[in-house]
Amino acid sequence: MARRRHAEGKDSRLALLAEMAGDLATTLDLQATLANAVERITRHLQAEGGALFLFDAACQEVRCVSCYGKAAITGLVLRPDQGIVGRCIGNALGEIVMDVAKDPGFHPGVDAMTGLTTRSILCAPLRVKDNCIGAIELVNKISTDGIFSQDDLSSLEVLSTSAALAIINARMAQALVEQERTRHELELAAEIQRRLLPARREDGYPVHGVNRPARTVSGDFFDFLELPNGRILFCLGDVSGKGINAALLMAKTASVFRCLGREGTRPGRLLARVNAEIRETATLGMFVTMVGGIYDPATGGLVIANAGHEPALVVAPDGTVVERIAADAPPIGLASELFEIDDYPERSIALDGNAFFAFSDGVAEGFARGGGAEEAIIKALRAVCGRPAPERIEILADRATGTELLPRDDLTLVVVDDAPRLRGGVREPPSRRLLRQTYRGTAAALREIRDEIAACCRGSGLDAAVTSDIVLAVNEACQNVIRHGYGGEDKGDIVLEVVRTEQALTILVRDHAPTVDPASIRPRDLDDVRPGGLGTHFMREIMDEVVFLVPPGGGNLLKLVKRFDGGQ
Amino acid sequence: MKYETNDVEGVTVVALEGDVDLESSPVARRLLLDQIARNQRLVVDLSRVGYMDSSGVASLVEALQSARKRGCGFVIAATGDAVLRVIRLARLDRVFTLSATVQDGIAALRKG
Repeated sequence: MARRRHAEGKDSRLALLAEMAGDLATTLDLQATLANAVERITRHLQAEGGALFLFDAACQEVRCVSCYGKAAITGLVLRPDQGIVGRCIGNALGEIVMDVAKDPGFHPGVDAMTGLTTRSILCAPLRVKDNCIGAIELVNKISTDGIFSQDDLSSLEVLSTSAALAIINARMAQALVEQERTRHELELAAEIQRRLLPARREDGYPVHGVNRPARTVSGDFFDFLELPNGRILFCLGDVSGKGINAALLMAKTASVFRCLGREGTRPGRLLARVNAEIRETATLGMFVTMVGGIYDPATGGLVIANAGHEPALVVAPDGTVVERIAADAPPIGLASELFEIDDYPERSIALDGNAFFAFSDGVAEGFARGGGAEEAIIKALRAVCGRPAPERIEILADRATGTELLPRDDLTLVVVDDAPRLRGGVREPPSRRLLRQTYRGTAAALREIRDEIAACCRGSGLDAAVTSDIVLAVNEACQNVIRHGYGGEDKGDIVLEVVRTEQALTILVRDHAPTVDPASIRPRDLDDVRPGGLGTHFMREIMDEVVFLVPPGGGNLLKLVKRFDGGQ
Repeated sequence: MKYETNDVEGVTVVALEGDVDLESSPVARRLLLDQIARNQRLVVDLSRVGYMDSSGVASLVEALQSARKRGCGFVIAATGDAVLRVIRLARLDRVFTLSATVQDGIAALRKG
């Protein structure tokens, strides 16, 4: 009879174990499942109370996270050297304490708090292989002798192992979720950063830049913008350090530069003003090295200031370096009275058909792998001479990246090429930007877009018929982005830019939808009278140029050009 | 976009007003297809439509196809310059039956 009861007890233990292991393995709510497990274990092993403790190695504390019975001790914190539970975790061994009064390791403080009396204890570690993360403790066996048996201990040890597995799994899942969230947030930050960079210009334009982050976000930046007097302001900056803090300071510096630079302040004065802004709020120890300049496309004149940055180079069309512009002032953001500067020193150079190159130190480091950095760069500059400026900096960035998938450090280059000016014919006529505006990529934005484009057209002296044609073409371009790029959902922006030259009106439509292979975009076959697919046909019919481009930083760029002479 | 539906001498006249673009064309499409589903002869009055884009044109094409399938008459009437330009750009000016006024459109449908 006794043997039979024993066998039944074993069966029910197995059943409980199987059930609990299943619950723990599949739980979505670990806290509730653990509470449930503690209750079932306590009742099954016929104890007055039970508690689950977790060991926090970082804080060196043992905390009760779940309990069952009269003593409500959830949240109780013990030192790792306190009590039977501490010993059990420390040794990673289960134990039976028949009479706590005879065990010097017993910690009477808990009884004093709860007002209950502990007589016997059964304790098993939460352990998977060598990793002990806590323990389950049961107090006071409810039976005639009031003593936990060896069988009880074996059962508790097995049950504890499955609880430990569940906790470790849940922690790993949580860590993965956190990791994924961080990754996603970094990507959003990188996207914002990419939008801070200026759009790539046509080959004949004098200023180009390239930025390749080593990680998701970049501590480097470049920018250029046209001033009202036709000159071009540009910069290249490199924030000390990498990662998100460098990226944030980069974003701030780039914004301050653009904002203060718009007024056409001379580069030396401008860098001093940027310095004053950044110094006020820069994190201690972070600084920005920066080259800022203004180029005059009418004369080839260049005024440049270098705040602690790598030497910039002036390169002749044959690739020889004719001048080195080293820093003669400290970096931006060093908060010291020693560096109180009203004006950073400036250099004026007549480019005279030469090209000006500035690099971030990541470029130099990339080249340094083969020996002397500057020597290697100078050699590379000679090798790429004769190519269009944007191609030259892309090749240099490729060389600096080497055979690795991603550069080790952020890579940024800026070139100001004076050669197009001397070639005369290639020189772009003076242009004026009529619009640069970001819209939400939804159907509801179309009316405002049409109104803006109509205003730009009328302001350029176009008649009503041509105006409404251009409005239609731009509407169709945006519609394609909204319907096909963003799938009809409010998933991204459309950036519209309208530039007028003497000969033409150019409209750039930029989106951040997945990049589409330009070759796959075709106008509709007009014999096919099905709804849809008309937009591209309208654009080609109305505009003189419809060019689908893949911009740096992903997304799509559509260039629409309407020539004022009617495309003759 | 606003719209109005009237029965005139056994012909349904659907008058659209405003811009027929990506935002509003789903409404126009549904409206036209519903009328055709009721086997109505239809005149679409576009005299008060100032702007139409490809999605609007596509709705008209779909309505025309549906009407042909059911043997209902379908006429587009009183298009302004801008709308006519879009229909011409789509080379659909000879696919649609266009009439200068709503009255002409009704008369054409009653004759047919």
